[in-house]
Amino acid sequence: MKNLVMKNPVMKNRALKNLVRTNEFTLAVIAIVGFGALAVATDLNLLTAGTMDAFLRFLAVPIVIGLAQMVVLVVGQMNLSVGVLTGFCAMASAWLLVEAGVPAPFAVLAALALGALVGLVNGLLVVFTRLNGFIVTLATMTILEGLRYGVNGTGTYQGYSPGLRALGGASVLGVPVVFLLAGTVAVATALFFRHSVPGRRLLASGGNPFAARLSGISNDRALVLAHTLSGLLAGVAAVIVVAAFGTVNASIGDDLLLSSFAAPIIGGVALAGGVVSVTGTVLAAFLVRLVDVTQAQFDINRRWVDLIIGAVVLGAVLLGRARDKLTGGAR
Amino acid sequence: MSIVLSAEKLVKTFPGVRALDQATLTLTAGSVHALLGENGAGKSTLIKLLTGVYRPDGGRVLLAGPDGPQEVHFGSPQDAQRAGVGVVHQERNLIPAFSVAENICLQHLPRRKGLVDRARVRSEARRCLELLDVDIDPDTPVSRLSVAQMQLVEIAKALSADSKVLLLDEPTASLTGDEADRLYAIVRRLRDQGHAVVLVSHKLEEIFAVADTVTVLRDGRSVAEAEPLARHSRDQIVDLMVGRAYQEVRLPQRTVDPSAEPALVLDGVSTSAGHHDVGLTVRPGEILGLYGLVGAGRSELAKALLGLEQITAGEVRVHGKTARIRDVGDALRRHRIGYVTENRKEEGLFLDQTIARNIAVTVWRRLSRLGLVRDRAERALVADYTERLGIRLASPDQLAGQLSGGNQQKVSLAKWLAADCDILIIDEPTVGIDVRTKAAFHELIAGLAEQGMAILLISSDLPEMITLADRIAVMRDFAVAGELVNDHEYDRMSQAVIRLIHGSQEAA
Amino acid sequence: MRTASPQPPTASAPSAAPPGARSRVLPFWANPRLGLVIVIAALVALFSSLSPAFLDPKLTLAPLQADVSVYVVVGLAQLAVLSLGHMNMAVGRMAALSTFAMGLAYDRLGVPLLVGLAIGLAVGAAIGALAGLVIAKTGVNSFVVTLALDFGLLGLVTILYTQATDGVAFAVKPAGLAELRFDTFADYCAGELCGPRVPLVVPFALVAALGVGLLFRFARLGREILMTGANPVAAELSGIPTHRRIVAAHATSGLLAALAGFMLAANNGAFSASIGESFLLPSFLAPVLGGTLLAGGAVSVLGTVLGATLTQVIYKGLNLLQFSLEELKLYIGLVLLAALSLDRLRAVLAERRAVSSS
Repeated sequence: MKNLVMKNPVMKNRALKNLVRTNEFTLAVIAIVGFGALAVATDLNLLTAGTMDAFLRFLAVPIVIGLAQMVVLVVGQMNLSVGVLTGFCAMASAWLLVEAGVPAPFAVLAALALGALVGLVNGLLVVFTRLNGFIVTLATMTILEGLRYGVNGTGTYQGYSPGLRALGGASVLGVPVVFLLAGTVAVATALFFRHSVPGRRLLASGGNPFAARLSGISNDRALVLAHTLSGLLAGVAAVIVVAAFGTVNASIGDDLLLSSFAAPIIGGVALAGGVVSVTGTVLAAFLVRLVDVTQAQFDINRRWVDLIIGAVVLGAVLLGRARDKLTGGAR
Repeated sequence: MSIVLSAEKLVKTFPGVRALDQATLTLTAGSVHALLGENGAGKSTLIKLLTGVYRPDGGRVLLAGPDGPQEVHFGSPQDAQRAGVGVVHQERNLIPAFSVAENICLQHLPRRKGLVDRARVRSEARRCLELLDVDIDPDTPVSRLSVAQMQLVEIAKALSADSKVLLLDEPTASLTGDEADRLYAIVRRLRDQGHAVVLVSHKLEEIFAVADTVTVLRDGRSVAEAEPLARHSRDQIVDLMVGRAYQEVRLPQRTVDPSAEPALVLDGVSTSAGHHDVGLTVRPGEILGLYGLVGAGRSELAKALLGLEQITAGEVRVHGKTARIRDVGDALRRHRIGYVTENRKEEGLFLDQTIARNIAVTVWRRLSRLGLVRDRAERALVADYTERLGIRLASPDQLAGQLSGGNQQKVSLAKWLAADCDILIIDEPTVGIDVRTKAAFHELIAGLAEQGMAILLISSDLPEMITLADRIAVMRDFAVAGELVNDHEYDRMSQAVIRLIHGSQEAA
Repeated sequence: MRTASPQPPTASAPSAAPPGARSRVLPFWANPRLGLVIVIAALVALFSSLSPAFLDPKLTLAPLQADVSVYVVVGLAQLAVLSLGHMNMAVGRMAALSTFAMGLAYDRLGVPLLVGLAIGLAVGAAIGALAGLVIAKTGVNSFVVTLALDFGLLGLVTILYTQATDGVAFAVKPAGLAELRFDTFADYCAGELCGPRVPLVVPFALVAALGVGLLFRFARLGREILMTGANPVAAELSGIPTHRRIVAAHATSGLLAALAGFMLAANNGAFSASIGESFLLPSFLAPVLGGTLLAGGAVSVLGTVLGATLTQVIYKGLNLLQFSLEELKLYIGLVLLAALSLDRLRAVLAERRAVSSS
């Protein structure tokens, strides 16, 4: 190993530089080409206001939920409860709106606070029990499934807060407000990891826990913070659901778990931690949405979508592995 | 010269081992201080006490302050860092995804309005790098640096809190000769700036070239305290490190039949790991020592013999027949070659598994009928080997991780004996093992040779080598620099071996 | 230097590897299996006092046994790779693909029940082996590989069902399926002597549990898989062909998933596309409740059986008490969390005692 790393660093560096660029770059190229191709194939129908609006509106939740998974992957953890937590927060805030008659801003804040609180509990459980985060969040996911259902059984909430729903349906210059919200969250997440001290600490802890500890960074605190943020982002996704969909029931979040992993993994985030890519995650969510729309446009069997996503996830990871091999596994 | 730091009578015990026993270290400003000692002498423990990783069980640490020396207690690495004690550990301590600048400032990221102040991170890092007079762009991600550059970044990081004391633990272990020279130029520069630098290294010639004073640890005690290095010869230092205890252990002379067919022959072997034209011969009943500095390619050669590295040229012959070894299973079953690894805990043992399984893992194939392992046969085998090797255990169902270092090493050896190997490669058998167990181990290895086993012994422990080996091959830069017949006269042999390493160093 | 602990070791559970992967030699009360047995007994007592119907053999006990059987096998399917420290996120979809193969064989080839089962098991083992092969060769995390496979199979299975059937299920009912579904051994008598009221699918689970227990306890293959899970580098350096062991463990997982799929199909009376959808969560629940950690190197088959039993007892009991299925999850999750936390506490206490007494 030593020799591998020592050999000719200059050439390796250049190769590495080029390859590092390709990761998100490739995704962006595929996204643009794919989008262009779809636009042409649909006789530019894709670019009409209505279609574009729907395209972006339903992209908001996948982006945010992908980010929610990404923040825990950064510290080498997993959060199986993101999807169900989103559903639970959505149900809870709808309950506040409908049953308790709470004003919309409070219901929104409550959803965010609830998400963060559950995330905090996840983090504390991981730190104090020293159990694998996968198992802990598996347990809390199961509990949340019950709680989500407990809010209103199989019933559906609708017709709540016209203001909130109007906001959820509104667009600015043809761009849905909820998509703008997701975009803002993505930018904020990127800035957090790029510039804030806690964000840098999360990355340091995920990248080399031993070095982080010697530098005065508490790995435990990093774990708790990452899980709390993940919960908070699930809360944001819940708000988007409540505002944009107009109806909420106990099945919300069921289909989010696996896709929450797909976006960051395709986006180049390593399961081992220490790597962050907001751009990659967002682009991957975009790509998945693109596949989705293609399927709808051409009336293809829905299931091909899953087949393709599976292939893409594996392909992305294998590509990353090949890249690591080429750069001498310099991690 | 003013005393910057003095550690007095430090004691640190771990379960079953007294790692430090009243060790003393005194550092003066503007000097390079060598901290020497064999593996397991307590150097790393001392460094970890001085940098707040461990807390001492006894003794005290005094640090120069404005009002004279003050006793300090380091509760964490940050305490030590803040007090001006910087360290470069043997392990890499950098975050690969971060820039050089950010890694240097990681302990105390400058911030403005809650955000990382990148301008100040950069200027701070530049200042630290300038202290070293090295030209590395602070914005480069660490993952793109060479190993030598990373080492320099670590030093800059250790200096970032205005450290007066800098501890370097084996800083040149993974550097080439040129890179090491450059590193030592920087060390001298730091000394001239008034830093107290502590240097831990196995490479004596480097120590003599750079250090001013020396402290030698043996078995957790300081046997030489801050003595000027100029007063000592290399041999005196080696004597201090090793002590007289070793020469007293004299194993019974074995005789090797020189006409016997060699068990293992390497004939002009080159490997994908970088070995070139390696030639070695081991006969049954013989111990061939393979000596060399860390990084000379000895363990890699062992792994090439097991098929873990590719042999690109030359030939390996086992009992006279050309052998193409694909993997460990192949080496074990077809050629009966065993490898006792140097990394007992990572590569040798299954710490969370029972002792029985650790020993029987290599022979389950033989012990099983219809794919099922016969428990009774396994028990008998395990009992046999624990008794033969004198492994002290409460029960074979105990977990291997619960054993002491010496007993763990015996378990790690037992699985190869159980597998009926007749060629054994033993890599650093006594690292981290206390003196008495060490002697028992030497007898054990000599006994195996007596029984006709061919042994290739890799060790960085020169006294061990001279006690055990029949012949000593010295390896340097992935090639054999020379071979000596061991006459077990310590002084003569150690000088001859060091001359071989040294001569090659001068040539390089 | 003395050896760390002079205590005698505890006897390990009959069909299990050494208890508790990370634990030292622990006293008997630290055995998580014992706790499970007590909890199950207490719950059975509670449910039968609240609702006498809980002890009704035909209404409750027989279906309960059938359900437990399915989820024991599902748990074992996950256990097979947990032994390596791996995960199988595609456990449900592997079952779905295998049952499709079975259904197709019965429908198009008209094979007998057991031949179809064998075909399905082979398909399950093959798809598992494929996952294992990718993991071993590329070194990519098993979670990612099986997650991707899950997505892929999810699509594939539905497409296959649409191609080969009405899109939902095979209409074919091979001979013997109905018996497997409705009969218990009580329906088979030799003269006066009838069998116990145990559904016919139960022996399948018993055979699977015994087989997996035998594999990990006595077989060289299973032991070498465990050693690979405990320390891959040391395993490689001890001459174990680790790649092949990884493939074997994943193939076993696929095979057991297929068996679970078959048993569920028998319980439902149809080979349908929805088989396996509910497998993922319980597949982790049963082994984890039973004390198998995700670290690899140690498994507990008995614990998995008990873990599956506990979850199914809770489901059945609360169901009888008119709790809805979704609500049950709350309690299952709480039990899981409580069991795990207690387990940690027990391990910590026991370890402290072991250290202080040495």
